[in-house]
Amino acid sequence: MFVHKVLSTPDDPARAVLAGLAALFSNGPAGRITYGSTVATNALLQRRGARVSLVATAGFEDVVEIGRQARPELYTLEPRRPAALVARADRIPVRERVEFDGRISVALTTRELRALVRRVRARRPEAIAVALLHAYATPRHERAIGAALRVLGVPISLSHVLVREPREYERTSTTVINAYVAPLMTRHLTRLAAVKRGGTRLLVMQSNGGAVAPRRAAAEPMRTVLSGPAGGVVGAVGIARRAGVRRVLTLDMGGTSTDVALVDGDVPRRSEWELDGMAVRLPVVDIHTVGAGGGSLARVDAGGVLRVGPESAGADPGPACYGRGTRATVTDANLVLGRLDPASFLGGRMRLDVRRAHDAVAEVARRLGVDVDTAAEGIVRVANAAMARALRVISVERGHDPRRFALLAFGGAAGVHACELAAELGMREVLVPRHPGLLSAFGMATAPIARDRVVTVRAIDPEPAALARRLETLAAGVRAELRADGVGDGHLLASGFARIRYVGQSHEIEIPLTPDYRRRFDAAHARLYGHASPTRPVEVLGLRVTVSERDVVSRPRRPARRRAAPPPHALEDVVWHRRRVRVARYARDLLPPGTVLRGPALLLEYSSTILVAPGWRAVVDAESNLRLTR
Amino acid sequence: MSARGLDAIALAVLHHRLAAIADEMGVVLGRSSFSPNIKERHDFSCAIFDPRGRMVAHAAHVPVHLGSTPLSVRAALSAFRLAAGDVVALNDPYAGGTHLPDVTLVAPAHDARGRLLGFVADRAHHADIGGMSPGSMPLAREIYQEGFRMPPVRLVRRGMVDRDVLALFLANTRVPEERRGDLDAQRAALATGGRRVRELAAAIGPAHLQRGMAALQRYTARLIATTLRALPHGCYTAVDVLDDDGLDTRDVAIRVAITIRDGRALVDFTGSAPQVQGSLNANYAITLSAVFYVFTALAVEPIPANEGLLERIRVVAPSGTVVNAEFPAAVAGGNVETSQRIVDVLLRALAKAAPRRIPAASAGSMNNVAVGGFDPLRGRAFSYYETVAGGAGGGPSGRGASAVQTHMTNTLNTPIEALETYYPLRVERYAIRRRSGGAGRHPGGDGVVRELRFLADADLTLLTERRRRGPWGLAGGATGSAGRNLLAHRGRWRVLPGKVNLRVRRGDVLRVETPGGGGFGPRPRRSRRSPR
Repeated sequence: MFVHKVLSTPDDPARAVLAGLAALFSNGPAGRITYGSTVATNALLQRRGARVSLVATAGFEDVVEIGRQARPELYTLEPRRPAALVARADRIPVRERVEFDGRISVALTTRELRALVRRVRARRPEAIAVALLHAYATPRHERAIGAALRVLGVPISLSHVLVREPREYERTSTTVINAYVAPLMTRHLTRLAAVKRGGTRLLVMQSNGGAVAPRRAAAEPMRTVLSGPAGGVVGAVGIARRAGVRRVLTLDMGGTSTDVALVDGDVPRRSEWELDGMAVRLPVVDIHTVGAGGGSLARVDAGGVLRVGPESAGADPGPACYGRGTRATVTDANLVLGRLDPASFLGGRMRLDVRRAHDAVAEVARRLGVDVDTAAEGIVRVANAAMARALRVISVERGHDPRRFALLAFGGAAGVHACELAAELGMREVLVPRHPGLLSAFGMATAPIARDRVVTVRAIDPEPAALARRLETLAAGVRAELRADGVGDGHLLASGFARIRYVGQSHEIEIPLTPDYRRRFDAAHARLYGHASPTRPVEVLGLRVTVSERDVVSRPRRPARRRAAPPPHALEDVVWHRRRVRVARYARDLLPPGTVLRGPALLLEYSSTILVAPGWRAVVDAESNLRLTR
Repeated sequence: MSARGLDAIALAVLHHRLAAIADEMGVVLGRSSFSPNIKERHDFSCAIFDPRGRMVAHAAHVPVHLGSTPLSVRAALSAFRLAAGDVVALNDPYAGGTHLPDVTLVAPAHDARGRLLGFVADRAHHADIGGMSPGSMPLAREIYQEGFRMPPVRLVRRGMVDRDVLALFLANTRVPEERRGDLDAQRAALATGGRRVRELAAAIGPAHLQRGMAALQRYTARLIATTLRALPHGCYTAVDVLDDDGLDTRDVAIRVAITIRDGRALVDFTGSAPQVQGSLNANYAITLSAVFYVFTALAVEPIPANEGLLERIRVVAPSGTVVNAEFPAAVAGGNVETSQRIVDVLLRALAKAAPRRIPAASAGSMNNVAVGGFDPLRGRAFSYYETVAGGAGGGPSGRGASAVQTHMTNTLNTPIEALETYYPLRVERYAIRRRSGGAGRHPGGDGVVRELRFLADADLTLLTERRRRGPWGLAGGATGSAGRNLLAHRGRWRVLPGKVNLRVRRGDVLRVETPGGGGFGPRPRRSRRSPR
């Protein structure tokens, strides 16, 4: 693996990418480049997107602002909601109406269409979103409006193209967000397309864990918004497969938050999520985030109880031990406990200030009335409680027993917490990949080309064969698109899923579409909710097809021969359950495959630190992953 | 066990665990239920109790359940000695309930050795529970008209559903299949909660769990005490009124005197109007919920919702008044409308104690719309209920939010595309009611305009407030626009009363315009008078 880092260039993000690629190309051309970025995400969060005009069925222009009419926080006297991305004056009504069964009750006249074009033009939009009621059932009006507005020469997002499903707010919100980031992403990706050289192919990472051609990404930039964390999970799946582990819970602990995901053989997906209070309804990698990370601040509240996060010291001032902040963070607690090495942080490029960390934790200790070590361990325990809760949400709450999973820890801070977290959940194995800080990039580089497509069905107890036929039609369309992008049919694999519920429910469960889908649905319902009604009719709401490249599963390497660990380069104290324990320190890079060592031990590397807790055994496997068991 | 030392850390960890269990119960209930009220609007709550029946964790989507859930468990425990596998159901507002559509289930959690670890409970708003009109939110004069009333009964005995009880219940509701599905979902949530409490006890030890449950309540009491100590000592009074009781047109006054002293509060509603003929009576549980909501929202820290709330706050509500009605008064509207007015009057009083924390009045009504009848298109009976958002009051920190659920409710809307698919209704308009917020330095948020066309003859009930006077402004801010209800029959619009039950015809259109929030602070001089 070759790693090259360049500084980002926020004014024109493409410049940094081009500079980095130029350096890489000096080693010869690449076969495939997969690009993942937070350009769209940042534009959204910082409200730096395009001026969008929203065309909506007359009478429903404000749906985008009303949302589901709930406030994000329950107990607050002054509820706040993030401002809508489209100003009230930029919401343009159009006279038309489609009914729930797809019937057109108010036809869109050419006169109305002409007037609409005038009204939209007058707003001088940089992008246009069109979201009409029941457009998922009959998209004819949206298509006509899209065609008529093309003369304005700005990107147009049609709701039925992005989300072919009912629920007007979620579909409208998704469409508006897409329009909001479209001009920016189009410019950005056009710049990048310039890197094509020789046989190199440029792909863009999507939030669903697959990669697509740049022009597809530019048309539906919404699909790239969560690509960073998605890369991590795809990378984790790749690592787990090669290590021969089917089930893993991923733990990506960063500075301000921690992402967790459940992998049962494949990349987990879900179709609804929220971004800064706005609904998004597109398939994304199913990641759960909790506001606890290395930079989370610890404090003693008015009731005398220790709280850790969700407030974070961020990058500035950062943890006290970085030299500017004064308040204790999880990182400071780990340093006080001897679980981080002050001299080798970031390969020794930054020396951590133990004194400052100690003073900050001592303040928490004073307020709790305990000694500093107890306070530091308390901070770690409370942070672990938040992360354990997140891991339970994705496993226990969804009917999975975490004890049957391995914990795959990556991201800068996870290695120090992994053993304790695993023990808390009754898990027996922890896997720490090589270069844990680069797993996201590794995932992107190995992400398959993949596209998914969803269609509304709404049928009660349909025949499996009929569903299979509809799925095949859907898959054929996606295959054609991928062919146009230059991916041969022979390498493609289609997998189909059905979204099903009992008649009368409103939340569906996604089940692989097989002839016995009904039995699978009852089983899944029982697993998730503890009861099933095999005689009650079911309703199939929609189908999803994912067409992706076949995985190239490389054969696992032969296990390396076992060997004893080399002598540690130092022995230092670590606080463990209120006692000081002598712990050997190793440079991880110097441990060859096959190395076996017993905890307690601290393994140091460039981007992270791994604590092998007392009672755990570590083995470096043939892929240089670290496998911890107890 | 004190909050000092190690225990403060153990307590933080235990709080995470218990809150997560209550949350998980909510996920199971919301996802597997059948009523749109539960599955789409999230009108439900789940809670965990210690072996003495004191609440230790509460996952609420609607604050109105906050103070009332503990009372339902108390009622269940005083009625029965519960064995493992038993489930008690109840909805009687005079025995632990709120209003009849809210059905509460309570079950004990025992460990493998039969030791009682605590209780789990969930409460959900069922779309129909019988009574004189579909949706069970009628303009009644006594509780018998409002629906099927259930004192605490054992729905499940040692794991076996009592089919007699279930049959009796289902026979008294309009959409029995849906009720059965919702009860299944509520039972599934209890089963999940019970299992997790057992696992937690096994992991940390039952003794540690019991001590922790007690410590959590003391922790909440300390946080409330800190909140109260931040307010100046004194007695703060206020009065506000309901438009009417739905049967006549007289104001119904609610009065409060809040005495803050030494980290304690006495909230006294003496002087409030006698209970009314109509359904706007609140029982004591509702009044308690409103008080808890206000102090929880005022708190300096997020407060774990548990029985500790009761320790520092005493609520006096004379019986026979609109804030503590006596049997057999009708109560359907007390839960949804009077609860909002109780919040308004509490905030009005507290604005004198903490002028920099309290906003102007919000919409002050849940704008309840219930429709039911027979759907000829789908060949079945239907019952539909929704609440419509309004404007939030402008406050010290900024303008009020528009089109948002405020204070005692936070239910979601039913998506139009789902509603039209399942009911003979067509939404004609769903929009922000422009310029309905009261003017001010920080203007009130705007209300909502919602129009429903009936595609079949139906029975319509409206239960709405702030139709005669808009929500008040504060610190010189203007009053928000009052709400309006209108009905078009053959194209002719007429104004409907705030509370009404009537027969509507196919083709009629209902328009509900909800109140805007009050403004905060005097309007800046240069701006024009905002048009109404």
